[in-house]
Amino acid sequence: MLGRSFYWDKTKKNEEENFSLEIGTNLTENLKNVKKMLEDPSDLVIREFNIGTANHRTAIVYIDGIVDSVYIHDHIMEDLKTASKLPDDKQKLFDVIRKEVITVTGIEMGHSLDDVSNAILSGNTVFYLDGVDQVLIMDTIGGESRAINEPQSESLIRGSKEGFVENIRTNTMLIRRYIADSNLRFSTYKVGRRSKKDLVVAYVDGIVNPDMIDEVKRRLETIDIDDAPESGYIEQWIEDSFLSPFPQILNTERPDKASEAMLQGKVVILLDRTPFVLIAPATFGSSLHSPEDYYWRWSLGTLIRMLRYLAAFISVFLPALYIALVSYHPGLIPSDLAFSIAASRDEVPFPPFVEALIMTITMELLREAGLRLPTAIGQTIGIVGGLVIGEAAVSAGIVSPVMVIVVALNAIASFALPSYSIAISFRILQFGLMGAAAVFGLYGIILSYIMINIHIVNLMSFGVPYSTPFAPSFLSDWKDLVLRAPIAMVKKRPVYMQPDDKKFMDKGDRKQ
Amino acid sequence: MKRFKYADERISERDIMIAIPSIVIGVGILSMPKQLASVTIGADGWIPLLIVGLFAVFMSWAIAKFASGFEGQTFLTYASKIVTKPVAIVLSFMFAILSVFITAYQIRKISNISQQYLFDRTPIEVIALAFLLVVVYAVSGSRAGLFRINMMFMPIIILIALTLVIFNLGWISIGNLMPVFQTPFTGYVQVVKNTGAISYLGFGILWFYLSLVDKPKKAPRAAALGMCVPVGLYMIIFIMSIGVFGNAVTANLLYPTIELAKVVEIPGGFFERFESVFFVIWIMAIFITATMAMDIGVIALNSIFKNTEKLKIIFILTPLIYLAGMIPQDVVEVDFLGAVMSWMIIILNITVLILLTVVAKIRGVKRNE
Repeated sequence: MLGRSFYWDKTKKNEEENFSLEIGTNLTENLKNVKKMLEDPSDLVIREFNIGTANHRTAIVYIDGIVDSVYIHDHIMEDLKTASKLPDDKQKLFDVIRKEVITVTGIEMGHSLDDVSNAILSGNTVFYLDGVDQVLIMDTIGGESRAINEPQSESLIRGSKEGFVENIRTNTMLIRRYIADSNLRFSTYKVGRRSKKDLVVAYVDGIVNPDMIDEVKRRLETIDIDDAPESGYIEQWIEDSFLSPFPQILNTERPDKASEAMLQGKVVILLDRTPFVLIAPATFGSSLHSPEDYYWRWSLGTLIRMLRYLAAFISVFLPALYIALVSYHPGLIPSDLAFSIAASRDEVPFPPFVEALIMTITMELLREAGLRLPTAIGQTIGIVGGLVIGEAAVSAGIVSPVMVIVVALNAIASFALPSYSIAISFRILQFGLMGAAAVFGLYGIILSYIMINIHIVNLMSFGVPYSTPFAPSFLSDWKDLVLRAPIAMVKKRPVYMQPDDKKFMDKGDRKQ
Repeated sequence: MKRFKYADERISERDIMIAIPSIVIGVGILSMPKQLASVTIGADGWIPLLIVGLFAVFMSWAIAKFASGFEGQTFLTYASKIVTKPVAIVLSFMFAILSVFITAYQIRKISNISQQYLFDRTPIEVIALAFLLVVVYAVSGSRAGLFRINMMFMPIIILIALTLVIFNLGWISIGNLMPVFQTPFTGYVQVVKNTGAISYLGFGILWFYLSLVDKPKKAPRAAALGMCVPVGLYMIIFIMSIGVFGNAVTANLLYPTIELAKVVEIPGGFFERFESVFFVIWIMAIFITATMAMDIGVIALNSIFKNTEKLKIIFILTPLIYLAGMIPQDVVEVDFLGAVMSWMIIILNITVLILLTVVAKIRGVKRNE
């Protein structure tokens, strides 16, 4: 309701202050209207000047800072001033300017004040000619933006050092550089009633399943929101289940990961002003994959993958296993170890569950604190927190040394996962499992494991079961799941994506 | 919302092939060697295992063959056509009641064994309730989801069973397996009377699940192949446990299969007591058995009460299952319940198969209408 009343403000203001939403033929009146509508902000630039032999009055309007001012100077101002042999008739002059004089590449016609305000607010420049009730809208979007950097959240040893940036044009350019295919499609949407951000759905026509792209577009069209500051808003709006702890859409900062996903028949969603692009659909298997798996030779790729599944297991189950073994089944631990654990827990006044809870929460705090601080201090906090607090907690008898090892291993394992969003899911699950282990021991852990499996098999991401290709199983997809078979052996695109074009390569035999 | 073809609520023949061992392998295998060894001499128990097993394979094939003739029709639909609606409803109802009892039996068993091997103080009522709630969670999800669960758990179950077998190979003494073929005929009758039936039950699911299969032409073969897995596994486990413990000891152990795990020593000394690990993983096997049994009950009731929501049926069944599982007072009563139940199941399945086949022949009901 609140949003609605703000939304209608424009017309209300129009009635009160009495300015026209139409573009008239009088330039002075038109410029006054623009100023009134935006209440003459300090960054609004209006350049009035005369052109041609008949000294026609013209003006260009833009907002400083979000335009490329050098570009405006070179391609609008210079062109207009140096143009010769301009016709005297105003309408003709306008057409000549549009078609011949101005050398800006993106140029459109505008007919109303709304067109004008939308255009200048998103960085375009508007050209007025006195006596003509139309305007030219020229694409001069620019301004300061970050340079292409190495992606911070997903750095690799081997692989491209380019990461997406905030500017969506740069991002689409990066994808184009990876896939120079005439079937690469970018469908553009405007998102946000107020922010009117560009959103691009990128896919390779002929590979992607048409049902998939329809579903993605259908969901995107339902978005009705004031502003989407980050692709997380889009993700949460179009995901299948908001109750699930698992990410049903992956995000990445890496153009190579995004374009590889597109070649597998997936859909990539880019939003302006964020370097994180979305990859839909996600499956459990694909969220544990990293582009680097393919860059190293297959034997290493396979080992890394298996290590990652182990890391996933540790990051979910280890604290719970500790609780279950120590409090319910000490007999399961080899007796020498059991004695030393018992001895080290001698001074600890808490039951294992409380002990584990203290340590894991401390760990989460350290992790959060480390993220918020500048890199240099963040590292210090890590060392101070990890070593000093851990050591002191042990000697103060609050926790046992084994617990510290368990928590440290658990944290390291969750950092080893390639996707931050799946690592978060595991952190959430870990607490549930600790509770289950505290109540039922190993029995509780296995029941929780079964429940997680039930949840995963019922979860869908854009019509694709989250558990595929494990189940529903596609044996040919297993070559690129836990294992990473040699490149030449993985000839088919993932069957679970039901792509139009089934194969990556025709023969796959290496030429010797 | 659009779904991909493979992601809908239909299943494939491969799912049927995995569903059969999934439902058959449950708590039965844990005590099976004891029941066999107590009435046979030496390792002779494998003979009834094989014979009853072959019969189970045949039953699976026959039921799948019959049901696949009515492609895409539920049990109630085609049974109504053959033996009139009231009879069909009674039959469905009996399947539903038996399913409730299978689920209850599995849950009660698992609680008893958990108490023995995992915790000694937690009351079985609590253990059973926790397990039942997880089963209910699974059943209230999508039906295709159950088959995906089977697909994900079955390899783990087979793997842990193989681990058990491989690490026990060194402990077998051939002398324990002797003498062969000494059991009198009455001994085999005893076997069949006591146990043979219960261990292979589960082909009843085919009456209901085949209506979910798209082109069930190869389903009979898949079902028969699926049944071969438990037959093979049972024989291996039985011979293993006689070979390791000897006939007399096996007959006196409550759960010889879990005791087999006790013998295992994993190199490196990482697990001190493998039997707990084995049983914990075996809970997955018991879970899928209980889940599918309950789901059959839900399908059967849902086909009778078409307008009732699935969730409502589940919520009505849950307390019934819990009560049925908690009524037996001790292990003897539980086993008695199991024996009665298994005979009921086998009689019901054979009766339904013969009844439907014969009446369909007599009344000339055509398949695939």
